[in-house]
Amino acid sequence: MSAIGAKPAGGAGLDTTSALVGIIILIVILGAMYMLGSSVALMALIGVIIGGILIGFGVHFVPVGGAPAAMGQAPGIATGVAMLAAGAGLAGLFGGAWAAEQGLAVAVITGGIGGGLMMAITCFMVNFIYVFGMGIPAASGKVLKDPITGDSQPEFKSQGTEGHGLPFISYVGGVIGGIFGGAGGTLIYIMLLDVYKESLPEMFGAQAAQVLPIAITLAGLFAIGIFLVNAVLAAYNITGTIEGPHDPKFKRFPRDIIASAVASAVCGIVAILLVAM
Amino acid sequence: MSVKIEVIEGGMPHTNIMIGGLVVSVICIYLTYLNVLTGTQLFAFFGGLGAIAAIVWGSHTIKHLCSYGIGTGVPSAGMMAFGSGLIAMLFATRYGVAAPIVAIILAAVIGAILGYVANNILSMHIPVMIQSLVEMAVIGALTLMGFAAMMTGSFELSSMTVGQVTILGLSLPSYQASLLGGALLATVFMLGGIAIQHPFNACLGPNWTQDRMLMLAAECGFLSMIPAAVMSMALVSMPAALISLIVSLVGWYYTYANYIVLSKRDAAEWLDAKPIPELEGH
Repeated sequence: MSAIGAKPAGGAGLDTTSALVGIIILIVILGAMYMLGSSVALMALIGVIIGGILIGFGVHFVPVGGAPAAMGQAPGIATGVAMLAAGAGLAGLFGGAWAAEQGLAVAVITGGIGGGLMMAITCFMVNFIYVFGMGIPAASGKVLKDPITGDSQPEFKSQGTEGHGLPFISYVGGVIGGIFGGAGGTLIYIMLLDVYKESLPEMFGAQAAQVLPIAITLAGLFAIGIFLVNAVLAAYNITGTIEGPHDPKFKRFPRDIIASAVASAVCGIVAILLVAM
Repeated sequence: MSVKIEVIEGGMPHTNIMIGGLVVSVICIYLTYLNVLTGTQLFAFFGGLGAIAAIVWGSHTIKHLCSYGIGTGVPSAGMMAFGSGLIAMLFATRYGVAAPIVAIILAAVIGAILGYVANNILSMHIPVMIQSLVEMAVIGALTLMGFAAMMTGSFELSSMTVGQVTILGLSLPSYQASLLGGALLATVFMLGGIAIQHPFNACLGPNWTQDRMLMLAAECGFLSMIPAAVMSMALVSMPAALISLIVSLVGWYYTYANYIVLSKRDAAEWLDAKPIPELEGH
């Protein structure tokens, strides 16, 4: 039996002791940032943490189907979280980065729209191929009625499968997830870019315009790094596959919010201390 | 508790591969420091070899972790490695000669915290989770640092941020024509990420053999080293870039030929099929 056939063992509950340890780590990191850096750096770190939480929360909405979905045996998009998150999140991040000069709110909203648009197109094409290419209707295996449209599901579900295709609720979930992911990625990028724009000219003894390419690359790379870490942690939380916001696994999101906050704080403080120390 | 369903049979134990990969990688990255000592850039290719040693180690760590069934697919482990490794590696480049050591320590700390988060807060409860994520972060940092050292001739932040632009025969320092300013590191990120996740993804299954997977990892590493060597032409002197390119091409051919031999060995049966012959006169 190969590794792919293994059943993941992640439970559904929240381990209180571990969660407390996580929150303590988070507070220690925030305190360390306050001691070591300026108030701008602390605000940037809080922005990075919020961005990371948005990414981790957003992944829970995205209908990730994995290998079973590729064979039409489970609902969702037929690939893993790492690929989907990279696609939707980076599309949003690049969209938001173009709007970075127009202020935080515009950039974050643009990033969200970029990610949501990417997921909308992906979900549409996925359903198009499912329906017209593989000849299977969209049906959820987890709920009897679509929570939004109220359409009945079990009649369309093939025997021996967990459902197939992308039901309307999964489609909507995908778009919401893309919006959260794109907005979160852009927020991390903007926060880090502000810190680098401020510190790098002094660090290199150069004019701001000269070191701007370095500030943009550093912020972009760190945003991608923190994005992937949060996306994979969320993937661990849902143990690989989820149907969308109606899936029972969606209820596990509280512990991912703690996990994303701790992970983003650890990565964010290192990224900020690169220039602030 | 999750159940380990795929045991490692035969071959070297994981600890040996880990120690070997770590030592070879660090030594190779430090050998690029000969550039500074001798005043040339000809030893840059050692950085690529260090990255390949880390990739070979990384493919086995992914095998070690994924044999517990993490449920998210093999590529996610590679993305995690590079996401956390990149952060440690860039921070460590500030510390000059000590950069590789700082990168290892910082990556291990980040990996340990991420491992705790995944294993306890997210209730994964996989026995090797923390150790694997520590290793993955170190591997990501060393791979990126190796390729960065190969492309710039040094593993220090100053050489990664300042490049040279020649205008009318005049050589000027430029922040844009550098590894970071030109965002070449983003390309290296993906080149390394694909190289590290592919070997186990391609070789997993009932007839998994260790030597075949490690050979494929080395092959993927050399394959990623080829475009890195081409990109290094913009940053280091042409002879140094050509040496890197030749080393990567020779290494890739050698490992690829060996991988094909091992694949044929492990195949139940293989047929050396010829293209459809063009028959005339029918």
